[in-house]
This record gives sequence, structure tokens and C-alpha cells, in this order.
Amino acid sequence: MTGLDGGLALDIADDRTIAGRAADGDVEAFATLVRRYTPLLRAYARRILGGTASVDDIVQESFITAWQRLPELDDMGRVRGWLMRIVSRKAIDEVRARRPHVDVDGVEGLELPARPEDRPEQRAEHRAELTALADALGELPDAQRECWVLREIGGCTYDEIAEQLDQPASTVRGLLARARKHIIVRMEDWR
Amino acid sequence: MTRDARTGSDGLGFEPEDLDGHTMDELADYLDAGRTPADLSIDSSPGCRIALDALERLRRLGPALLDRDAAAESRADESWVRSVIDGIARDARAGRRIPFPVAEPDDDLGITEGAVRGLIRTAGDAIPGVLIGRCRLDGDVTAPGAPIRIRVEASVPYGLPIARLAERLRTEIGDRVRTHGELNITEIDIVVHDVRDLPKNGGDA
Repeated sequence: MTGLDGGLALDIADDRTIAGRAADGDVEAFATLVRRYTPLLRAYARRILGGTASVDDIVQESFITAWQRLPELDDMGRVRGWLMRIVSRKAIDEVRARRPHVDVDGVEGLELPARPEDRPEQRAEHRAELTALADALGELPDAQRECWVLREIGGCTYDEIAEQLDQPASTVRGLLARARKHIIVRMEDWR
Repeated sequence: MTRDARTGSDGLGFEPEDLDGHTMDELADYLDAGRTPADLSIDSSPGCRIALDALERLRRLGPALLDRDAAAESRADESWVRSVIDGIARDARAGRRIPFPVAEPDDDLGITEGAVRGLIRTAGDAIPGVLIGRCRLDGDVTAPGAPIRIRVEASVPYGLPIARLAERLRTEIGDRVRTHGELNITEIDIVVHDVRDLPKNGGDA
């Protein structure tokens, strides 16, 4: 097929092309990036915040920051992870504004809203596992959940998490160890 | 390495006594390091092996959970996209101002770097399936008539000879930039960074 119109061509282009164009000022390419990653970034912010918060403002602000800083990104092909990093910073900023001190020993977890668990495109054997993981995550105290999501979903280093949460790395390690134990034990219960 | 004594307090079955003296924190580090160098006291411990398997499984599931969550989110509708785009500063990418060489010293005529990049992108659009990505102008572009080297990245469709596409692209870029900008282009470097299938399967979201 030839003669692609601009919009469609952008839609099928790789991240490096799209992000590179956006870094150079192509607003249409940036809009493509917004379309491509809005669902992912909303989902990620929701996981960090525990599901009850409105995430649209965080995602919108993140994109605006991304537009400003995109020219500084070294590897345009890594824009997905870079966007996630921006969102996690905004989300944690919001958490800290609401809750000035991270509640390291908190026992209460935010409830996750019910999610559609039976999407046909998911392979059946993964569905139960993922649901168990989501439930276990929903039971975690805020600080444990935030650490786990940043580490295991966001791929942040311990030091990055420590910096974002304004906690010593040793505290982050402790929170992560507890989060992991809780999740593993809860998921075993489901087997 | 710091160990957090508090991790041992919740009695969930992955305590050092269950792990032949090791901690979950330690095991997570071992996993992060790709289980190298091999630690016999970990590898030979049934408790550690169970914990490592569980940690590894969790590591797989985290990204999968995000994928599932993202698939369950509604798509970005156009009013949302517009609201984001309305919030950005469109003129933030003008870049350097490139003066045209002119006969009269008082004449002041120029083009922004951003506008030149726009011209270069439209050169790519003129060739079906070719998309220009990042684009740089090297040289002292703020000096009138200074030599400028253009470097562009391009994504091309699968199945077409890349060398010929690159040559066409070089010609298109050169024609447009010289026609519209009267710039002293000395070199046009093209790096094809992506060869993609048409007509679908482009985005890696």
C-alpha cells in the first residue's frame, strides 16, 4: 500500500521516529504519542495511586512536561519508559502533597475498584494470576504499593524510588521486601 | 548492604529461618544480578529456590499487569488529545535563527531552525512510506552563508531498496532546503533507523 496520508503514516511509525519528530517541533507527531500512550500512562498512574484518584490531570501534566523536555531525551526509542518515569514523578508528587510523610508502617490499603477481568484477548492462564496480583496489590499499604509498582512495573532503581519518595534506600528495600512477601503469599492462596 | 530488620516481622513464610539465613531483599538482588556469581548457599536451599521462583514469576507479571490495565483503559478520544495539545507551547521549538546571505547589510532576512526542520520533514512526506524522524542542523547556522550539514533519521517501508530511497530523500531535502532557504548545505547524512512492514503493525505500544 502506498500513498499513506500523514496521520496514518505517523500512527504506524516506530517510537523513535515519532518522538524524534515531536522533539523537533512536529505537533502532529506529538499528538500521535499522546494517542499511543495515554491508556498506558493512565493505567500506570492508577496503579501507583491505588485506583481511587483521578489520573487525567497527572497524565496531562506529564505530557506537557514531556513536550518541553523531549529534546533532552538521548534515545528517542526509549520514550515509553521515559514517559512512565515522568508520570511516576507526577503521581508521587501528588501523593506527597496529600500525605506529607510516607506512612512506612501503615497497615491500611486503598481498595482497588473492580476492573473488568474477563477481557477476551487475555490468555486464560494469565487472567487468574493477574487478578490475584491486582487484588494483592490492592491490599498493600500505600508506601509498599508505590515502591512495588515503581520497581516492578516502572523499572525504577532503588535509588530512584528512594529519591522520589524522599526516603532512605534502606527503607525502600524494607518496604519492597514486605510488599513482595505479601503479594507472593496472597498469590499462593489463589493457586 | 543494608538489611532492614523490620522485614522479618510479619510472619508470612519468607523469613530468614525459611530461607537458610538469607533475606528476600538479598534474593531480589541475586535475581537482579542474573544469579551471578552463583551463590551455592542460595542455589542449594529449597526455601530460597521457592522464593526465587516466586520473585521471578512476579517480575514477569508486573509488566503483564500493566499491559492488561492499559488494554482496559479507554482509548484517548480526540477531545482529550486536543486538550493536551492546547496545553503545550507550540513555539518552543523554533531553535536558532538562520540568517540569509543578503546583498545589503541592512536587510534582515532569516528562517528559524524549526522551520527548516519542517521543510525537511515534508521532503520525507513526498516519498511514499518514508518518514523522517529526528533531524539536526550542524554548523554555525547563525552566521550568514556558513556551511550547514544536515543529519536526519528516517523510517522506511520494508521491501524497497534503501540506498535508492535514501538517494531520493537526499535529493528532495536538498531541493527544498535550497529552494526555500537558500542555505549553504554541504552535506546531507541519512540514517535509516527503522524498516517497517506496510500497511500495518508499526506502533510498538
